[in-house]
Amino acid sequence: MAPATPRLIGRDDLLAALDRAAASKVTIISAPAGSGKTSLLRAWADRPGRPRRLAVLQVQRDQHDAHQFWLALLDAVRHASATASRAEPPAATPDFNAPAMVDQVLSELADARGGITLVIDDLHELTSPEALAQLTRLLTNLPPQVHAILTTRHDVRLGLHQLRLAGELAEIRAADLRFSERETRELLDASGIALSAAGAALLHQRTEGWAAGLRLAALSLAGHPDPERFVSEFSGSDRTVAEYLIAEMLERQPPDVQDLLLRTSLLDRVNGELADLLTGRPGSEQILLSLEDANAFVESLDPERTWFRYHHLFADLLRLELRRRLPDQVPTLHRRAAEWFILQGQMVEAIRHTQAAGDWPEAVRLLADHSFSLTLDGQAQTMQALLQAFPPGADHPELALVRAMGDLAQGRLDEAAAHLAVAETYVETAPPGRRHRLQVAVASLKLSLARRRGHLADVLEQVKFLDSPVTGPSDEDIALGSDLRAVALLNLGTAEAWSLGLPDAERHLREGAVLARDIGRPYLEVGCLAQLGFASIFHSAAMPKADSFATTQRCCREAIALAERYGWGAEPVIAPALMTLAGTMVWLGEFDEGERWLRRTERALQTDTGPDIRLLLHQTAGILHAGRGRHHEALEEFGAAEHLASQLEGSQALASQVTGWLLATQARAGRPGEARAALAALEDERASFGEIRNARAVICLADGDPPGALGALHDVLDGTAPVLGYTTVTEAHLLAGLAHRQLGDQRAASQAAERALALAESDRLVLPFAMTGSAGLLEALPRHQSAHAALLADILDVLHGSSPAAEDQSSLLPAEELSPGELRVLRYLPTNLSRREIAAQLSVSVNTIGTHLRSIYAKLHVRDRSSAVQRARELRLLAARRTR
Amino acid sequence: MDPAPAPYMIRINGHLGATVLSAFPALAPQHHGAHTVLTGLLDQSALYGVLAEIEALGLDLLEIQKLTPDRTSPEPGHHRSP
Repeated sequence: MAPATPRLIGRDDLLAALDRAAASKVTIISAPAGSGKTSLLRAWADRPGRPRRLAVLQVQRDQHDAHQFWLALLDAVRHASATASRAEPPAATPDFNAPAMVDQVLSELADARGGITLVIDDLHELTSPEALAQLTRLLTNLPPQVHAILTTRHDVRLGLHQLRLAGELAEIRAADLRFSERETRELLDASGIALSAAGAALLHQRTEGWAAGLRLAALSLAGHPDPERFVSEFSGSDRTVAEYLIAEMLERQPPDVQDLLLRTSLLDRVNGELADLLTGRPGSEQILLSLEDANAFVESLDPERTWFRYHHLFADLLRLELRRRLPDQVPTLHRRAAEWFILQGQMVEAIRHTQAAGDWPEAVRLLADHSFSLTLDGQAQTMQALLQAFPPGADHPELALVRAMGDLAQGRLDEAAAHLAVAETYVETAPPGRRHRLQVAVASLKLSLARRRGHLADVLEQVKFLDSPVTGPSDEDIALGSDLRAVALLNLGTAEAWSLGLPDAERHLREGAVLARDIGRPYLEVGCLAQLGFASIFHSAAMPKADSFATTQRCCREAIALAERYGWGAEPVIAPALMTLAGTMVWLGEFDEGERWLRRTERALQTDTGPDIRLLLHQTAGILHAGRGRHHEALEEFGAAEHLASQLEGSQALASQVTGWLLATQARAGRPGEARAALAALEDERASFGEIRNARAVICLADGDPPGALGALHDVLDGTAPVLGYTTVTEAHLLAGLAHRQLGDQRAASQAAERALALAESDRLVLPFAMTGSAGLLEALPRHQSAHAALLADILDVLHGSSPAAEDQSSLLPAEELSPGELRVLRYLPTNLSRREIAAQLSVSVNTIGTHLRSIYAKLHVRDRSSAVQRARELRLLAARRTR
Repeated sequence: MDPAPAPYMIRINGHLGATVLSAFPALAPQHHGAHTVLTGLLDQSALYGVLAEIEALGLDLLEIQKLTPDRTSPEPGHHRSP
């Protein structure tokens, strides 16, 4: 393809040029400070009859934080696409998954009807290389009907050459933005300035058509007694345009306005209250409003016009002037600003100004105290930038705490431990007023670290501080205490859930979720609920609790729904719930659905590398393959899971399950020798777990030793062997059935299968039947004798690979909802029972059964009993209890 | 890249006043005709800091030169104090 030349923009009608540029995918406006980039955009956007919606993002000054950048961009897009009403504003989480964030922005853009223009102003302020790389991906994948306009002072490192080659990149540069002589005259006319044609030409020549210069000149010329003299003096001066004109403009302002501009120049944004504080005079808001009205390089940031910012170039010059004129005042001004921001709870600004004031010890204290909250607010990268702003001489052991937190967030566990050790040593010598607070912070971080490492005993040791929550003189202390406490409850409950069977897990997680909701920490609430979903699947009882899988699924779905409300549906925080949901689907034989949830879990775990959750990911993938009879794929997953389990301390029970499945799968995959050798290498204690005994039985069966299998199963079946849950017992009954079958004892085999069905009935488990390869065993059961005919039919469907996929369901004709009475009758249809026999079972008349049957056929759009059964299976109506 | 500071000459269009010059405390200013020439010892990161400052203040950058030891002063004979 021949390279197309980038579109250059005609200079006489910039607005029309921008309109033309909007036909391509991306427009870059690249020109130095004061060239009028933002003004052009404003003028373009404010025209009446603007056809597209605008999503505008102003990049913060010196934005290092990719996470904050993407959150702000997502927020801007949501506002513009008016989807904001159906979800909470994108809320920050400590986890940051850049690719997922880009996907989310892309999908919001694609959902916006009628096209949208994405404006990113001051892109040069974005200094995060990671964010620029992701932005390139966004820009090269913009959906149709979406156009992006970027403004920047200098060309930024975006890889847009493909767009350029395709002619999809329009550029507007400094030369295009320059005012023509005619435009200069128009500007002067519009400002009511009477200047001769020669004067206007001179002004144009001196400013070289530079927008900021002309605007500044216009400010000084408006109401000037002798405009011609002003222009000729300006023209005769060698000083740079901006400096000359800003000095002129300042001098023409009343003293209180000059003072306000100078003193507030060190703020990135200012409001009336803050300006009053820095000037020591009331009435600042009025001054700011009139400066904006006079077009004097002050612009409001909100529709209510309470917050303002100064044009960057203007602010930079004012700051230099402030330092020259009032050098002694500068630290005091920063200090006052910091105090105000502390009162507002805007800690990042507060810390920045404290650092700028040179109050390093105070800045250390603020940063250390707020590092937990900042992390929870998704400001981890900003926090690291603040950390780097400390000069070498101002380093302090408390900063080690902040470093440890950054390490933990990045998964650098060894570095985190080293930094924590530094902080911990310091705590001993810290002043009494700080000691308790620091102890709590250190303990909480050690708890996080122990949890991440799977050191469960350490976790339990570190949580003692939960008994004495931080109480302090201020609300701030209590807020900090609540944050720490909620984080600790999440970590504790999680650790307990992972060490399985610790009954406190659910209590702690529930308490954590309630506290998190009370203190407005939805991230922690979602985290607790997600782990709660995971925790609730473990019920070490040898008998099923009623509906335990259904309860677990409901719990997971609630956590996922809450996460989705905050836009965290694919964040690591919700992964435990996604994973658990996937796992329960697999247990219930809904393999396709389970696979879909598993995929979503993988996406959510892209950035998190905790061995615990990855273990579960492999394990769930393993049972999915095993359920589908894919032994080799299952082996790979179980192998990976076992490897991870060996890195985790303290979750013996979980490890036994993985090992049991691994060995059993080896035997089924035709490698019983390998399995037997691995089994022999296990310690006696582990070999006594029910899951390992089941594996031994599988190996015996593979070796043609059914009596050996029955021997291995004995303690599981009589309830003396420790088991992870009743699923293990169900599996043991099936293995016993298979052993009896090998021995030719069909009656005992059928009895064992019946017991397995009885255990599986309440949750409608399918997986154990699939994993053990029990199709033959079940088919040999006389169906009309089984008390579990409907479940049996479901299981056989899955085993024969006719499990209805979720997509197929949606394409079917919707069935009218059946009444409870009809459902009761429906569940007898797969049996061989006659109408009369069903009537007897249900203690109703044969006529009633007939009425129900006609109604069932009509509602399911079928004509006979067998197609009704078929349709009912597709619609999963035969299951006694389903949560869908 | 040489990590040691080296003498640099930076030429900017127009005469920089005291306010703008305060942004370059490490550099000595001289006026050459209608230009301002800033000279001083800079390492690479200080140099990029100066360039960022020039950009932020909207100055018109004309020339940057790393000075060799035998030519530490640009264009001798045109000196005029600011």
